[in-house]
Amino acid sequence: MPIHDQGYRRYGGDKAPRGQAWMVIARNGIRHMLGKRAFLGLLLLSWFPFFVRAVQIYAAANLPQAAFLAPTPETFRQFLDQQQIFVFFVTVYVGAGLIANDRRANALQIYLSKPLTRSEYVFGKLAILMTFLLIVTWLPAIVLLIVQLAFAGNFTFLRNNIFLFPAITVFAFIQVTLVATAMLALSSLSNSSRYVGILYSAVIFFTQAIYGVLFAVTRSTSFSWISFPANLAQIGDVIFRLPPKYETPWLVSLLVIAGVIAASGLVLERRVRGVEIVT
Amino acid sequence: MKPPPLVQSSVRIFDLSLGQMLWSRRSVFLGVLLGGPVLLALALRIVSTLYEAGFRINGVRAAGASIFGMMIWLLYLRFIVPILGVFYGTALIADEVDDKTITYLFTRPIPRRAVLFGKFLAYLACTVLLVLPSVMLVFFLVVPTGGGSIGAAFPSLVGDFGMLIAGLAAYGAVFAFVGTRVKRPLIVGLVFSFGWEPTVLLLPGYLKRLTVAYYLQALVKHEMPQDSAVSVLMQVFREVPSVAASLVCLAAIVAGTLWLSGRAVENREYVLEQ
Repeated sequence: MPIHDQGYRRYGGDKAPRGQAWMVIARNGIRHMLGKRAFLGLLLLSWFPFFVRAVQIYAAANLPQAAFLAPTPETFRQFLDQQQIFVFFVTVYVGAGLIANDRRANALQIYLSKPLTRSEYVFGKLAILMTFLLIVTWLPAIVLLIVQLAFAGNFTFLRNNIFLFPAITVFAFIQVTLVATAMLALSSLSNSSRYVGILYSAVIFFTQAIYGVLFAVTRSTSFSWISFPANLAQIGDVIFRLPPKYETPWLVSLLVIAGVIAASGLVLERRVRGVEIVT
Repeated sequence: MKPPPLVQSSVRIFDLSLGQMLWSRRSVFLGVLLGGPVLLALALRIVSTLYEAGFRINGVRAAGASIFGMMIWLLYLRFIVPILGVFYGTALIADEVDDKTITYLFTRPIPRRAVLFGKFLAYLACTVLLVLPSVMLVFFLVVPTGGGSIGAAFPSLVGDFGMLIAGLAAYGAVFAFVGTRVKRPLIVGLVFSFGWEPTVLLLPGYLKRLTVAYYLQALVKHEMPQDSAVSVLMQVFREVPSVAASLVCLAAIVAGTLWLSGRAVENREYVLEQ
């Protein structure tokens, strides 16, 4: 019977440069999610509006009768608006368990006992969610812009609306950052991913419902800052140079968004710790 | 030895689960969720008392009863009732599986389906005990504003109570079924409540009959609010089945989904993750 040496052995692999450990978490998380068929189905479904829009652009470019379908900057804004429902489902699917599952399995201590800082852990987890959210928002919108160029066969639209590329990018990143940080903060608050998912749904739909009641009572949209999705919509309209939908100043909406991101960062700072101090 | 009958076993589980549900951290969530409308109603009442003109909708002073109706539609019917159904319904069995405690319940000398039925009853009691007081507080705070009369509006409150109980039972049963059959019940529940139901209710045709909201909305006596383009569209395509038909369908949904989930619990082998 062979006797194996159980003594200490030096690590034989390469040492990763400092500050890059988050990539390991991100890579593994992304690979793990891509291995789920149901999730791939959800991603595929989230690209369905893209195909509808592509057909619309094709028809507008090639059929004179369908010229009224020609894309405008508003088309891209509407497209990103339509993607919100998929953003919600992808966020709950991917994000709810990101930290909650680690807390449940007491894996946080194991993670943080490795050469990995707390911020690297958080960035790694954030990168997983942000990647998938960008696949659902930024990527199809940019591809749609390219599709428009391809079908039109000229740069006229792009030249006339040169702000579209930065607008899509800025709005998608604001949306994704807000959603991802909020979900990650909620995920760090509980051990149950189901509870986190419900909490996130409550934040989204409850704020919207409260705003709905206030609007119905006052017939004024100045309370839109209460609603999580309304703040994003307001900022989106400003970024896309469209008249804002609500009476709330866009700066207030931006402040609320920044406040939510900051509060989420604070929660993550407090909750993601290797040792939990019980008082 | 003869195992105890289903009803007796369900009552035992109900006893056990009710305490757990009422005194858990989840109740905090429930408290925040149900405290929100009460705080909003309080704020509306204060504003209405301070400003003599009250709230005006299209230039006309809004009656308290119509504001209460809006709150029932927008907060309770479209949000609180479905989300409570998803939250508790999907967790009835899934939580025991996640906590690896389902074995303790399944090794008791009781029918397996009694675990589900008992927990479902506990869910219903817990949510009804918390939702109805919240609605009642909102009613007493909001209805007197704008010259509304509590006495005149009271019969509608009783109707709302019945409608909310029916909604909690129906959504809870549907999501209990989802929780027993599906691996990720939360996603399915959220897709059903906030994806499928609002979408299908906007479409003309028969698809809306495959929702709980279609039957539940028929029980609401308040006017549907027009707070957004979606609400206006919803009102355009709104078909209202009779109250009797809705009640029968809701009862059938509760009975059918509970029976199916009971069967799933009896037959399914729950493999606990190591």
